[in-house]
Amino acid sequence: MEVDLTMRSRTGEKQRHARFQALCQSLRPDLLRFALWLARDRSLAEDVVQEALLRAWKAEDALQEEKAAKSWLLTIIRREYARTFERKRLPTVDLDELVASEEPALAGGEDPNLAELRSAIYRLPAEYREPLVLQVLMGFTTAEIGQQLGLTTAAVLTRLFRARRQLRSLCGEDVSQDPDDDGL
Amino acid sequence: MMDCKQYRAALLAEPAVVSADMRAHADSCTDCAKFTQRVAAFEGRLAQAVRLPLPARPPRWYAFAASLVAAVGVAGLLWLAVPRASLAGDVVTHMAGEPDAWRATTTAVSPAALEAVTRDAHMHLTATTAGMVSYASSCPFRGHQVPHLVVQDRSGPVTVMVLVHESAQVADNFDEQGYRGEILPMPGHGAIAVLTRNQNLDAAALDRIAMQVREAIRWTN
Repeated sequence: MEVDLTMRSRTGEKQRHARFQALCQSLRPDLLRFALWLARDRSLAEDVVQEALLRAWKAEDALQEEKAAKSWLLTIIRREYARTFERKRLPTVDLDELVASEEPALAGGEDPNLAELRSAIYRLPAEYREPLVLQVLMGFTTAEIGQQLGLTTAAVLTRLFRARRQLRSLCGEDVSQDPDDDGL
Repeated sequence: MMDCKQYRAALLAEPAVVSADMRAHADSCTDCAKFTQRVAAFEGRLAQAVRLPLPARPPRWYAFAASLVAAVGVAGLLWLAVPRASLAGDVVTHMAGEPDAWRATTTAVSPAALEAVTRDAHMHLTATTAGMVSYASSCPFRGHQVPHLVVQDRSGPVTVMVLVHESAQVADNFDEQGYRGEILPMPGHGAIAVLTRNQNLDAAALDRIAMQVREAIRWTN
């Protein structure tokens, strides 16, 4: 009986590990994209995601609900990225050089407008780029972005608005009818 | 009632969230209705743009395995145990064919040789974190060239194979043909196999070495 219970417990644990592994695999592409937008450097983003997934794997028990996994993993990625700066001061980079070096990643296949838009997103200040990517790529609500970034809902809305206004301007859209911040 | 300025600011902040007030305004304002169309077109391109293309990665069995698990549930999970067991068997068979790799030595492989082996696998190994690497070879395994390393642990030589083309859903210990080892998943990068012929090495020590090696790996693609 005791042996049977032990076996059941081990089977249950293996199934839980398998579910967690599958969950990480399914989320990994978007987590890597998020890290790429955050770090603007492919190898750094790969490192950050790898470290974050390792940390997540070790701390799997801390994840109470699977539906919270995306937010939980993003928090680990953001912390891991911040740690990179604590460990070593990364050199500042010229944006034009950076965009040129990431050319293949920014390329939009047949659509040159897509490449232009990706370059423009890269050029946004991090404080605007990050909430925008969380909203558009990760599908986060304003409240969830606020929670992730430690901002009020009003502050998130302002940053999202400014991000799109700058982006539209960088892409040559007609922004003459766009309002100022005080419309929010 | 919302004015044009408030409507456009709200739309640019959250284009996917349209409140009743906003809808009422857009229905009564031609300019804002046109503005909405332009923003919607831009938003479509933006959604496409944020999905950066990712580098092509080797095909992975786990993608198939994961969909199978979803489809057949618990039965699928039991089925997954079969490839893991045969993976361990194949690793042991490979080790038996490389007796030279098992020499206990105090000589580390040259950084250039280590780099050559790991570079082919699009990875970099921080040797100091992994322990002293005394053997590094790129070996054919299940149709791919994989790094085969020997780390000199205080318990004796430990062999590590980096199996990016394989799948491991959970950590798995094995004991076959005089070899004891562990296959450990690397989220997003297949698995690593860690083996020893030292029968006195316990599972915790094997796990420690496996984690040490795994944490020393940096992917370069």
